[in-house]
Amino acid sequence: MSKLPRTALTLKQFLQRQKVLGLYRSMLRTIREVPEEADRKYLRDWAREEFKRNKEATNQDAIRMMITQANNHLQELKTSLALAKS
Amino acid sequence: MAARILARCVRSLNPSLVSLNRGCGAAVASAPLGLSRCLSVPAFGRPARLTQIQYSSPLVSQLRQYGDLPPLTLDSIRDRVLYVLKLYDKVNPEKLQVTSHFMKDLGLDSLDQVEIIMAMEDEFGFEIPDAEAEKLMTPEEIVQYIADKKDVYE
Repeated sequence: MSKLPRTALTLKQFLQRQKVLGLYRSMLRTIREVPEEADRKYLRDWAREEFKRNKEATNQDAIRMMITQANNHLQELKTSLALAKS
Repeated sequence: MAARILARCVRSLNPSLVSLNRGCGAAVASAPLGLSRCLSVPAFGRPARLTQIQYSSPLVSQLRQYGDLPPLTLDSIRDRVLYVLKLYDKVNPEKLQVTSHFMKDLGLDSLDQVEIIMAMEDEFGFEIPDAEAEKLMTPEEIVQYIADKKDVYE
């Protein structure tokens, strides 16, 4: 029997989890740049909802897809922010 | 620096200008905050005696912090960390202890923890790298981390 608790993550799951949390962090960092307070709040709630909605997901491929999707959203947000600032 | 230059200017210009601008000089002396507004020519008329007192008194120069914040202490960091946590709507202020674990004791999730660390970044004005951020699980650890980063010791 392994000494690890049953809920322990495998290495792959662990790395994926780190990736998701890192994504959330960079999402919040990007949102922090948004000039309008109301927009900021809206985006923050939106990001949180999206992450929370899929927190039960276990299928690694599905999670990978979602990470890609989130990266796309992040890029989109960054692009429009850069445009808004220029 | 600026005070030194000002003092030198006052000493060199004082004999000729003191009679001209005594009125403004007195106003400046009584209201130190008006100094920046009055820094142009009229300010040179400030009586030299007064400048020297301000310039040499250690008490005055210690009280001035210019743009800097008051120095951090472990206590003030702890207070500010706890204050930020109390303002965070998902934290129950009654259950909050310095040692309470965000997930085990306060029932927060990993996203909350990320948000708390971001709030700390906002509060203390510096960025916490991801690798460090995910290890900070109690207010105590946050205080310790910030104290280390800001070179605050007992």
